[in-house]
Amino acid sequence: MSAAHPTVRYCYAIARPFPEEVLRGLAGVRDAELRPVREGDLVAVTSPVPAADFDESALRRNLEDLDWLAGVARAHSAVVDAVAERAATLPLRLATVYLDEDRVRAVLRGGRARFAAALDRITGRVEWGVKVSTLPADRGGRPRADRSGTGHADASGRSGRSYLRRRMAERNARETGWRRAAEAADRIDRELSELAEDRRQYRPQSTRLTGSRGENVLNVAYLVAEERSAAFVDRFAALRDAADGYQVELTGPWAPYSFAEQTEDTDDAGRAGQAGAEPVTANGSPHGEVS
Amino acid sequence: MSTASHRSGGSRVSNRIEMDRDTVERDLMKLVLTVVELLRQLMERQALRRVDQGDLDEDQEERIGLTLMLLEERMTELCDRYGLSLDDLNIDLGPLGPLLPR
Repeated sequence: MSAAHPTVRYCYAIARPFPEEVLRGLAGVRDAELRPVREGDLVAVTSPVPAADFDESALRRNLEDLDWLAGVARAHSAVVDAVAERAATLPLRLATVYLDEDRVRAVLRGGRARFAAALDRITGRVEWGVKVSTLPADRGGRPRADRSGTGHADASGRSGRSYLRRRMAERNARETGWRRAAEAADRIDRELSELAEDRRQYRPQSTRLTGSRGENVLNVAYLVAEERSAAFVDRFAALRDAADGYQVELTGPWAPYSFAEQTEDTDDAGRAGQAGAEPVTANGSPHGEVS
Repeated sequence: MSTASHRSGGSRVSNRIEMDRDTVERDLMKLVLTVVELLRQLMERQALRRVDQGDLDEDQEERIGLTLMLLEERMTELCDRYGLSLDDLNIDLGPLGPLLPR
């Protein structure tokens, strides 16, 4: 079955050289064996995948298949996380594939300066995610919760004025909650930024994604030096303990996904594939929507 | 069920068309309800502002409040009938955020 089916190289990440045992016990997408490809002081972590699964039309179809996508994403992030623990790592987008090992080497050579700069920027640093949200509305924020009275418009105590007053109280509570969270978000962001080398702000998550956990008003990723990580977490804990009328959430430490992407996108040389290797890339989920 | 096979494909096809019609009707209803809900919320916000400013006398407050309340109940009924929730009526306007405040 295997020899007849052509394979291409799936690329997980580009990293500084790391000890081989990091990959031991790990499997890649579809349980394939991981193969580091080294070129100078850069290593691409790759594994063979069936070409038929990753050509353009198959990939488009597969990316719509949530089970397939989940399998790939899990393998991808397991590999990236393992490598990132031991060496500076630039995670590549989900489903980045190259024709063969030679192409991978060509990409590493062609993008050497850019990859080195990006790696230097994140070497010895981790990413922390912070969210500030309003408290969940107790009554769901909507009077439709009290359905008992529906249809009996003028039952006792249900007057137009009391309806207006109730709506007004709800509106005021919502506005107060939002203002509190927004003011806190400014302060928290300022304080945490002092301990970070860089920050990247994301669009607040929609309540559809967060469930009914309140409205997200701040969603930021911070790039923090490893040796300041403990201080960062302490500072966050203090801010969380002081939180009154809003909620804060910390996630991490992650491999600095947010800051690796940023350099890729702002660089006019473009993504890894520009070296003429024609990678098939799919957008990875933006940070925060993964977690 | 047993007679379906005798009537051949005819009933199956019309069944399917019926289903599609349901979907279309539901989608259309969703759109209509979204617009109505947007207007309802705008009116309600305006009413609350006028109450804030003390523009309205008690009678007017009562009348407006009752109207808004009945409108909301009607809205809830219609949503239920079409199996929609108020969240379904919201439209994500991308960087502008959701159409309806949450």
